[in-house]
Amino acid sequence: MRKLHINGNNGPLNGKVKISGAKNAAVAIIPAAILSSAPVRIDNLPDIQDIHILTEILRSLGVEASWHNGTLDIDAGGLSGWHATYELVKKLRASYYLLGALAGRCGKAVVPAPGGCDLGPRPIDQHIKGLTALGARVEVEHGLIKVEAPRLTGADIYLDVVSVGATINIMLAAVRARGRTVIENAAKEPEIVDTANFLNAMGANIRGAGTDVIKITGVEELGGMTHTVIPDRIEAGTYMIAAAATGGDVLLCDVIPKHLDPVIAKLREMGITVEVADDQIRVVGQCPPQAVDVKTFPYPGFPTDLQSLIMVLLTKARGCSIITENVFEGRFRHVDELKRMGARIKVEGRTALVEGPVQLTGAPVAATDLRAGASFIVAGLLAEGETEISQVEHIHRGYEKICEKFKVLGADIREIEG
Amino acid sequence: MHDSFDQTVKFKLREDDEVFSAADVFKLVHEALKEKGYNAINQIVGYLLSGDPAYITSHKNARVLIRRLERDELLEELVKSYLERLSGGG
Repeated sequence: MRKLHINGNNGPLNGKVKISGAKNAAVAIIPAAILSSAPVRIDNLPDIQDIHILTEILRSLGVEASWHNGTLDIDAGGLSGWHATYELVKKLRASYYLLGALAGRCGKAVVPAPGGCDLGPRPIDQHIKGLTALGARVEVEHGLIKVEAPRLTGADIYLDVVSVGATINIMLAAVRARGRTVIENAAKEPEIVDTANFLNAMGANIRGAGTDVIKITGVEELGGMTHTVIPDRIEAGTYMIAAAATGGDVLLCDVIPKHLDPVIAKLREMGITVEVADDQIRVVGQCPPQAVDVKTFPYPGFPTDLQSLIMVLLTKARGCSIITENVFEGRFRHVDELKRMGARIKVEGRTALVEGPVQLTGAPVAATDLRAGASFIVAGLLAEGETEISQVEHIHRGYEKICEKFKVLGADIREIEG
Repeated sequence: MHDSFDQTVKFKLREDDEVFSAADVFKLVHEALKEKGYNAINQIVGYLLSGDPAYITSHKNARVLIRRLERDELLEELVKSYLERLSGGG
């Protein structure tokens, strides 16, 4: 069991940090690669657990995959299976993308119900609705999702709720379906655009990704290509908030600032200086920041993945802030741990009231999920004394070299075998 | 507002004094996308529709370049140029 130790109150973060490729794009693009039997190369992948698990799953299905230095070469010409094993799949939520990809390539898929972070109910009913509309028979039994789709056929699909996973899964299943598919009320996240870019470059015909109507005209087969994954807006937001919280001065490199508009706007509202130029963002913290209200929404709203992080920043703000979580109803599980560090937070349903400023104090805490774990690192940087974070495997699922990056910025953080 | 279709609008960069026209931007972005194996027209249309720079490759700094001009300015140039051709003024 590995743990992170952070000696807090160690001064502001300062320096430059390079942002890695987007986890949430990569975990969709890698399964998408099996839709083609030609070799593909994916660049700028983050060196994180989710990517390596997904690669292992592909290998277990007969796919050749070799990783070297952020690049993954995939040759799915020898794909020989459509049944993903539970031991690997349980470790990541995004394994459900194998449903659409395998159904599109093989006409059938068996994938255990997905694992990943426990953020409360995250039903996959919209995925099933979409696959069914395309002509697949979907059954859920004994913990397995079974898809039978001898010939997928395009359809008009209206998503009842905006869902990134369902939008991508339907897209994956539809690219080789017969005829035209229209997804209405589609999610608009940049990771969907990046997945569509990858598929289009392989020969797919997808239009409208990044808008709420996506049109897909099925093609017979896909070819090979090389694709570079977009920068991770959530990782970038994490370091922006960490810089702001410590009153630091941090330059983020290799970002797409447009993807961070809601974060930039919220930090500026708090009185924090955010300068934007080309593919860089500089954050200069302000102590104490002003209290603000935050509401999470699907893109282009404020991302739910940064809710726990901005909550930590708001413990330093003068006054009361209200955070409303509109995306995942169970996403306040980090609050109890933050309260153990001295935060004054009250939760009522989907709303949290954060009172500040308070001086956090170091404590042993458990990373209840990936983003909660990152928020405990930021809390640890602010706290007096030492913070020990357990269950760090959650953090490594989604953040590349997080200790090294924080160390370069001046944090006193180390990972030990505990 | 420009009262003639044959005027080329110039836009100033934020960080340096280099100036690109919409035509320069389209040409360079198109070239970068093609070099990376994308369907350049579809990618540019996707960007213009959604506003998401993820449509544009970072190759040859194309993603930064296309953000130098606002989307409405790029669209205005496209419409003007198209209408100019239709009216035989090109």
